[in-house]
Order: sequence, then C-alpha cells, then structure tokens
Amino acid sequence: MKTIPAFKKDNQRLRAAQFARVFLLVLGAFLFIGASLLLTGNVNAAQNRQTASTPTLIPSPTPTFDPSRLASPETPDVPTQVDQGAVIFWGVCIACHGDRGQGLTDEWRLGAYAEDNNCWESECHGSDHPPQGFEMSKTLTFPPLGTASALGRFENAQQLYDYVVVMMPWWKPRSLTPEKAWQVTAYLLKLKGSLPAGLVLDETNASAVPVHRLVTTPQNENTAVFFFIGTLMLAMLGLITRDFFTRRETASPPNLTVVPATRPNFFVHLHPPTIPAAQSRWRYTLGAGGMAVFLSLVLLVTGLLEMFYYIPTPEKAAISVETIVSFVPLGALVRNLHYWAAQLLVIVALIHLARVIFTGAYSAGRKFNFLLGLSLLVLVILLDFTGYVLRWDEGIRWALTAGTNLLKSIPYVGTAFYIFVVGGREPGPAALIRFYSWHIYVLSLVCGIVMVWHLFRVRRDGGIAVAPVTERENTTRITRADLLKREVLGMFIGGIVLLIVAVFKPAPIASPIRGSTILNADSSAPWFFLWVQQLLKSGDPFLLGVLLPLAVIIFIGAMPYLFKDVKQNELGYWFPRSGQIVQLIFIIISVIIMALTMLSILNPI
Amino acid sequence: MKKLSRREFLRLAANSLLSLSGAFALGGLLQFLSYEMDPAPPSQYDLGSAADYPPGSRTLLMHIPAVLIHNNDGYLAFSLVCTHLGCTVEQKDGQYECPCHGSKYDGNGYVTRGPSNTPLKKLRVEVTETGSIILHMEQV
Repeated sequence: MKTIPAFKKDNQRLRAAQFARVFLLVLGAFLFIGASLLLTGNVNAAQNRQTASTPTLIPSPTPTFDPSRLASPETPDVPTQVDQGAVIFWGVCIACHGDRGQGLTDEWRLGAYAEDNNCWESECHGSDHPPQGFEMSKTLTFPPLGTASALGRFENAQQLYDYVVVMMPWWKPRSLTPEKAWQVTAYLLKLKGSLPAGLVLDETNASAVPVHRLVTTPQNENTAVFFFIGTLMLAMLGLITRDFFTRRETASPPNLTVVPATRPNFFVHLHPPTIPAAQSRWRYTLGAGGMAVFLSLVLLVTGLLEMFYYIPTPEKAAISVETIVSFVPLGALVRNLHYWAAQLLVIVALIHLARVIFTGAYSAGRKFNFLLGLSLLVLVILLDFTGYVLRWDEGIRWALTAGTNLLKSIPYVGTAFYIFVVGGREPGPAALIRFYSWHIYVLSLVCGIVMVWHLFRVRRDGGIAVAPVTERENTTRITRADLLKREVLGMFIGGIVLLIVAVFKPAPIASPIRGSTILNADSSAPWFFLWVQQLLKSGDPFLLGVLLPLAVIIFIGAMPYLFKDVKQNELGYWFPRSGQIVQLIFIIISVIIMALTMLSILNPI
Repeated sequence: MKKLSRREFLRLAANSLLSLSGAFALGGLLQFLSYEMDPAPPSQYDLGSAADYPPGSRTLLMHIPAVLIHNNDGYLAFSLVCTHLGCTVEQKDGQYECPCHGSKYDGNGYVTRGPSNTPLKKLRVEVTETGSIILHMEQV
C-alpha cells in the first residue's frame, strides 16, 4: 500500500469537487426546466397547426347551380399556407380552372357565368374585348387540376411552382409573388390529395414533395427528443448525486497498477483501464481531446445513417437531403446532429490545439504526436468542406467553384491536380461523386486511422499529460469505474448541448442547383474558410489562397522543432515561461485569423 | 567502392523492386483517377438569328455565361466568368461585379477593382452567311 496524499490537500480538492457537482446539478436543473418550457411551447404550436384546416370542398354538381360555390372560402383566424392558397385560387384561378379544379367545363361555364355564358362571343374575351381584358383563344384548353391524371407533366412541387410562378395566371404571367405562388402550389397539391399534412412548402423542401403521391410528414419529433434529453439529464443527475454521497470512500482509492483478471487487448492501447489521477485534471486538459473523440463517433453514426438515403447525383443530391430533413422519421435530427457535430469538432479541435500550445504539451517526446494532431485538424477541415459540398444546393455553388479553382492556380500541376480532385474540367456530376468518395471513404478512413494512431501515441508518450512537479510522485490512479464515469459525464454534457443545438438551429439547406440558373446563391465561404476568402479579396489566388494557409499550418507544425522545448519542471502548468515565444506566435496567428474572419463577416460582398 | 555482400545486394534489390512496384501502383492509381467523366464544356454556342440582337443591345446569356454586345463596331462578346477564381459576375448598372471576392469590371470587361488583374475573357463572335450568330469560347 502506498502513502495517502496529504490530508489537507485532499480535503481542498474534495471541496472543489463538491462545488463543481452542485454547480452541475443547478445547471442541469436549469437546462431541464428550460427544455420542459420549450416542450410545452412546441405542443401549443402543434395544436394551433391542427385547428387551422382547409375549407371543405362542396360536393359534386347539382342540376341547378348552387351559387354558394362562388363564395369566398372561409379562412380560420390563423390561416395556413394552404388556406391562403385557397383564397388566391378562388380570386385568381377559379374563372378558368373551376371551383374544384375541374377546368372550364360546360357545367361550370354555364353555371357560374349564367348571364353571359359564352366567353368568346360576348365582349369579354372575343376580339372586341375591353381594354383591360384579353382575347382568349378557343383552342386553349383548361386542363383539370384536381383529378388523378391531372398535372401529369410535373413530378414534384418545385416543378409545379416553377410553372405557376412563371406562367400563371394566363392573362398576366409572373404577377404572383413567390409567396403567393407557393400558397397556390400548396392548394393545388391539396386538390390532388398529395399535400403532406403540416408541411409548409418552400424552395428548401418542394423538390422532395411528389405531386402524384402522398408522402407522410413525420409527427413533430421534438417532443420525443426533449424526453430523451430529459432522461439523459436525470441519468446525469443520478451519476453526480451518487458520486456526491459515496465520494468520501473512493476519494483516494488504493493504488491499482494492475487490474486483476484482465488481459490487455488492443482497445486497452487506446483506452486505458486506469490512469494516473495527477495527470487528468479537467482544468488542465479541458477534456477537448475526449470531446473530439465523442463528436467523431456521433459523426460516424449519423453519417452512416445519412448514407441510407443520400443519392450522390446532381439531380437528386439536394432533393435527397430535403427528403431526409422533411420526411424521413428522425431524419432532421440525424442531419442536424451530423452538421453540428462537424462544426463543433472543428472548434473543439482548435481548442485542443490551443491547450496543447499554451501548456507546452508539444515538447519533448510528444513532437510527433503534435504533428499527428495537426494533420487530424487538416483532415477534419477537408472532411467539413467535402461534406458541405455534398448538399449540392445553391448555398455551395460559389464555395465549390472558388475553392476548387484554387487548385487550378497552382503552377504547372494545377490543372492535373484539379482533374484528380474534381474529376472534370468544371464542377459537374463527376465532381459530386468524387467529393462523395473523398468524404465518406478516403478522408474518413485516413482520419480514422490517424485518430487511432494519435490516441495510441498519447499512451505511448506517457499518458494524457505531464503532471505538475509537485504531483509527479503521486501514484494515485483513477479507477476504471471513475474514468468511465468521467467520460460518460462528458458525453452526456456534449450530447445534450448537441441535441439542443440540433433541434433549435437546423442545418442550412437552399434550393437545389438547377443547371446554370443561379438563384440567390450564397457567396460566402464556409465559416472556417472565411479568413481565406477575406485574404483572397486582396489578390493572387495561389499566393493568398494556397501558399499562405499551407505555410501557416506547416509553420505551426514546425514550431516544436524550431524553438526550445519547455523545461521539464514547468510542464503541467498553463503558460510555461520557457514556451512563451511559441505561445506568443500562436496568439498572433490566431488573432490575425480571427480578425480576418470578422472582417469577412462584417463586409460581405 | 565498398564491396557489396550477397545479403546486402539481395536486400537492396528486394527493397528497390518493392519501391518500384509501389511507384507503379501509385502511377496506376493516379492514371485511374485522371479520367474526365464529364464532357468538356462546349467550345461554341449557336445563338440563333442575328436579328434578335439589334444594334445597341446588350444581351446576358446566363447559360454560357457570357454577354453579347451589339454596338456601332459590330458584335462583341465576353465571358462572365470572373478571371480571379471563376465565380459568375453579376451585371450592376452596366458594370460587372463578382459576388465571391469583389472584383469589378467596367462595361467592356476591363478590371476597375481588384483582386482580379485580368480583364474578362473576350470571345469571338461569328455571323454566318445565313445570318445566325455563333459564339466561340476561345479567347480573341
């Protein structure tokens, strides 16, 4: 048995731990109450949506024309999109298309316009039409809209909308605003019986809504997600409180150097059964590496799930993403989790890098692992960019064009390299399938291998961190149970934050790229490349867009080799004196990059 | 020169053959991935009858993308692909502005503001005997 650490110090640590626990408890309670409030708000919203229904259509024609068929449709106090569409249809379309979308049938013409029932021979739409009127060709047909075979030429709601907004009404095309055209489109789908319940049509989902087949929208899933978050929080509270009461006995566990009855397997190389307590302090490691592993696992699982629906062709890519978001049960959650985990991973990786620099953890014996970590950062950014491109909507058009053209700017090998990466001379179908392969296969595989290597090297290089001088003799180890508990706690907190962000801030999607028509394309780069975009505003693509970012990464990677190691007795503390030059350089680089990013946000083109 | 032992020679030979076959495999991989699946963009576009482009007109052809100008000197066309990094420039009060990095070009395609440093690509316009206009995508 080894000596027990000084009683006073242990007591202090205990008190700090207790404080942290109470803080987490209060935070958890707050989050839970907030989530419950939001949950009830959501239920109310869902109820509102249900009460707003479309006017019922009047049954089949009677021998004598029922004048109430000409009455304006009743709308509820809070009209939905389709209610408003019904009103527009009544005001604009009904004259030619009939009150039930039956077309200009004789029954409708004779009934609705009894006093002058021949549109052509009277002065209305003949050659002698009044100045504000128009002449209507007799050969013009008014196809029925509400029948099973109607609207045969349109596959999805986007195509129907495109037609309506450009061609209708016949005598004054393009007079419907986009908003009104969407409302009419929704109403037409309602007539056809193919309007998914509760869906508000717009350019981000219409391509995924078929005209001739009713797809079901999933019920509001946020309720279920919040119950899930709630149970997670309760579990977390349980973990913390149990720990709170039993902590006294396990505060200084016996020194376990060998875990009995276990034989080391490969997993033990990556995840140790016990680790030295003095090394693993949240306030020193920030838990960033562990969080990055957790986010990577989330990305792996959600990414695999997305693969079951995603179609990597230019025609279908954005539509399949819309389908995942709008129709696949829990699809929106899966996609939003994937998106936000990817964004957070970049941030967590940067925090991890900053931690390593500011604690001097890059020096002596860990230089190679520093390089591995840095290449992981590069891989993550490349994964983010290729994943971003897979949306294949208007939001990525210019980022893809400008980003890949940077490759072309490389002297001599530029064009060949471009074709290697993109698969053609300009972004097309080949580019999409290639980016898909880079993203889900090559980059993911390499990233996974390097990640495992990085974790293995952490253990090989002597554990997660070097303890401060005063603690190095301390052989207390964190038990397997305690270590797992810490990890589970970190995962819970990360998972809850991720879930809440995913529910409240959906991942972006714009209208699908359709040929060369450019629809309000977003011209800003993804956020982690905004600084490069800002640089590019002032000159040569190769110099500022390729060489400079590459030089920054290479320089950061070379810093441990260029400058003196941090002194052994200074390791284990933040901002060691002998690493100040490296810290200063890193701060300067970070500030410049952040300033460029801010500039780019403040001055969009 | 130091005499090579048999063992050293065999090891050297094996290693260099291994490296060579690795290089071959790498070359094969690069070759495999160098195929251009998509056809190259068309080298010329038929723009239809010249009568559709009266004198004084300035027609945006967004599917190319290019602009066709008919002025006193005849037809003139240039590409709307920004020469900096390839985004399509937008027409604003007779000028052309790139949405990506803010390059600006005047009505004749010359740079009025960086980062671009080359004018928009001038394209050759051909009027055929039958009176239709062919736009050639090569630089004039």
